[in-house]
Amino acid sequence: MSLRMIDKGSMAAFVSNLLQAYEVVGPRAKDSQYAFGRITDYDQLRLDYNTTILPPKKYLLPQEEVLFTFQTEGMSAAPVFDTRPRVIFGVHTCDIHALHLLDAVFATGQRDEHYLERRAATLIVGIECLTPCDEHSFCKSMGTLSASEGFDLHLTDLGDRYAVEVGTPAGEALLARYAANHGAGESEVGLLDKMLSEKWPRFSYRLDFDGNELPALMAVSYKNPIWKELEGRCLACGSCNLVCPTCYCFDVQDRVSMDRKTGERIRVWDSCQLAEFARVGSGENFRKTRAERQRHRFFRKGKYIPDMHGELGCVGCGRCARACLVDITPVGVWNALHKAHTA
Amino acid sequence: MIGDLMKPKVAFFDFTSCEGCQLTVVDSLQTHVDLLDAVEIVQFREAMTEKGEDYAIAFVEGSISRASDEARLRRIREQAAIVVALGACAHLGGINAIRNAQPLDDVRKYVYGDKADWYETYPARPISAVVKVDAVIPGCPIDRDEFIGVVKALLLGKKPPLPDYPVCVECKRKENVCVFHKGGFCLGPVIRAGCGAICPTCGDGCEGCRGLIPNPNQDSMSDVLVKYGLTVADMLARWTMFGTYQQMEAGS
Amino acid sequence: MSPIPTVGSVYVPSPARVAKVKALTVMEKLFTIELPWGQSLGHQPGQFVEVSLFGIGEAPISISSSPSRSNGVFELCVRKVGDVTGALHGLEEGATIGVRGPMGTGFPVEKFRGKDILFAPGGLGLAPARSLINQVLDERGSFGRVMILYGARNPAELLFKDELEAWRQRSDVEFLVTVDRSDESWTGNVGVITTLFKHVVVNPRNTVAVTIGPPVMYRFVLMELLGKGIPERQIWMSLERRMKCGVGKCGHCQINNLYCCQQGPAFNYAQIKGVEEAI
Repeated sequence: MSLRMIDKGSMAAFVSNLLQAYEVVGPRAKDSQYAFGRITDYDQLRLDYNTTILPPKKYLLPQEEVLFTFQTEGMSAAPVFDTRPRVIFGVHTCDIHALHLLDAVFATGQRDEHYLERRAATLIVGIECLTPCDEHSFCKSMGTLSASEGFDLHLTDLGDRYAVEVGTPAGEALLARYAANHGAGESEVGLLDKMLSEKWPRFSYRLDFDGNELPALMAVSYKNPIWKELEGRCLACGSCNLVCPTCYCFDVQDRVSMDRKTGERIRVWDSCQLAEFARVGSGENFRKTRAERQRHRFFRKGKYIPDMHGELGCVGCGRCARACLVDITPVGVWNALHKAHTA
Repeated sequence: MIGDLMKPKVAFFDFTSCEGCQLTVVDSLQTHVDLLDAVEIVQFREAMTEKGEDYAIAFVEGSISRASDEARLRRIREQAAIVVALGACAHLGGINAIRNAQPLDDVRKYVYGDKADWYETYPARPISAVVKVDAVIPGCPIDRDEFIGVVKALLLGKKPPLPDYPVCVECKRKENVCVFHKGGFCLGPVIRAGCGAICPTCGDGCEGCRGLIPNPNQDSMSDVLVKYGLTVADMLARWTMFGTYQQMEAGS
Repeated sequence: MSPIPTVGSVYVPSPARVAKVKALTVMEKLFTIELPWGQSLGHQPGQFVEVSLFGIGEAPISISSSPSRSNGVFELCVRKVGDVTGALHGLEEGATIGVRGPMGTGFPVEKFRGKDILFAPGGLGLAPARSLINQVLDERGSFGRVMILYGARNPAELLFKDELEAWRQRSDVEFLVTVDRSDESWTGNVGVITTLFKHVVVNPRNTVAVTIGPPVMYRFVLMELLGKGIPERQIWMSLERRMKCGVGKCGHCQINNLYCCQQGPAFNYAQIKGVEEAI
């Protein structure tokens, strides 16, 4: 839509104005790393962050959420929806792509109103990455180094001001209502273009092939010996799934009061890498080995999700690679598959 | 069905232990007073003087560390429909089992000096080495919420929840900075979750009080330790605290 | 189709009444479930429902009754294997449970009309197969031959014994049953289900086979069916997976790219032949 400018000196007021009407969350320092958290003061917001331990997904699909409350007598239940107005501030483009995919997942087929209601109440303010977060990210290979949709506003740091790309009418209204801003002059447009084009070479393609070829590569990689090799390495700790911005598998559990009269049904993040993920009631486990489970994970990212939703299931954020203590990385696995196939 | 449940009679027992798990139970009773409406506690030496012998659920803290413990534990097993191991000593043998790696006579002399002969002892073992155990609440000490969760499950006739995944799962859900990334050392990747990753959340590495997950990838865990500058000996030393019994069983 | 409406959330079950409970074996009970206001479940054979007991949890259960006999109720044949099924077994008539569904894709009965149908259920596989068998028998005229080859582990585990007897006595049903291990009471066939196939000769082009059973059974039964020349897309199965959410989100039931709770649980062999995790 349109391009606006906010002076950095006006940012603190922008955020504090937002706080009047929204819960604002954004990247904050956590030990030596960063995590999205509640922002109550502009100074807490670290727009210069590299990456966060968990993606902002947790505000749309929380680690644990109540689906409904119930009374055991008569089996009556009342769904619980979280519709508090919220602004997720400072979302990187990889995560914008990931949320875009999750939007499709939860709206496809039977709609998941728990996610969708929360999503409808959420505004996304993105921020452009001008340098790679670290050695693990591979956004450029996955086509997520920029985003043309999926945000309400999108910031680019121009030094003393932010360029603000308006993505939606809701974003436009937010800007008009809460931020001192002005239209972009010719020199500002020029500066933005310069920043955006200069950033490109700073990022490297880390896959040896185009990310869009992944579904085709996966299609010929089911029997690759690499899965057996991962059997020996993988700890089956689930970390890769749990930090992933596009993973959405969950478990469902009941919690009851001590008198067992009332309770709630909750869903919690699950992981297909955990040993019991595919076990059925009668005892059969349909993915017994770590090799099968790792293969499933990579096939979901590289083939099943793209086949189903038309978008790659991996956005190249590198979080799983950072979290994996035994260095199982998408770049490593996919380049190995590619090498095996082209050799 | 769910609403009209009986109020089961419950008893607490201890063997070789610090009684810290029972203390946690006492603590839970203060935060969950309604527990006292749901069950009838007939015996709990640490908290009350009455000693009822009619109970359906027995919570047993402590390891079995002398022959004379066995008869008492068997009597408990005969009486109780459900026996629950309460905490690491009952579940794993725990800290008491560290001595199993030394000659027993030396240990006895070290502890009791010239009165060594007065005391009966043998290698400490988990209660499951003596009787069938229906459920375990791991941990040193047990986790309050997990204890409450197990009681609720038993009241509902459900299999008590016991996570079979590692501590990493809970650590990630809590968005902790990985202990290894902070230069620390953690058994979390191979240790059973359920504690809410309390030690890593407070900045310490997991010490393994809840025991290994089923089918841990121990070779790969060793590789992790090497990668972070540690040795397998470091890990075994750490694992000795709660896993001596299991290590010796695996080695024998 | 009249699926039970959901109130705002696809995860909230509707209350339903346990109208009747009948013990079939030591492990299985048959529950007759009644929806409020005389609603019909509106299912196809092969579909399932998610059954809830608040506080205990939720479990997917295949529907065992025929749509042709819905009459405001449906039946679930439940084996006691876990928390939810265990608690269900403890229920008395008149109890309330929660139900979501019908879910998943069942058997395309319309495509089966005019065809010979060969049923080969094993063990608890008879529970979902019975839904289709009874529809076929209720609409007997619109199908060709009806063959039922049923295998159970032992005589005590045979399900729906009175119905088995009725099928045996019908002249328009070719019925064979076998047990893996016999006991003193048993005078019939002994051997795994595949030993029955030599007794039937089929017209492969006009035969639809429906086999439902434990995972280990499929490979062997498939060999028999393919060996008789029945085309792959005419061989139907129902796959068991951990259908936690039932709406294609939670990921537990995935069979490679397929969500068993959406595209399945009924699949024909042509659909899953190349799907490595399927059988």
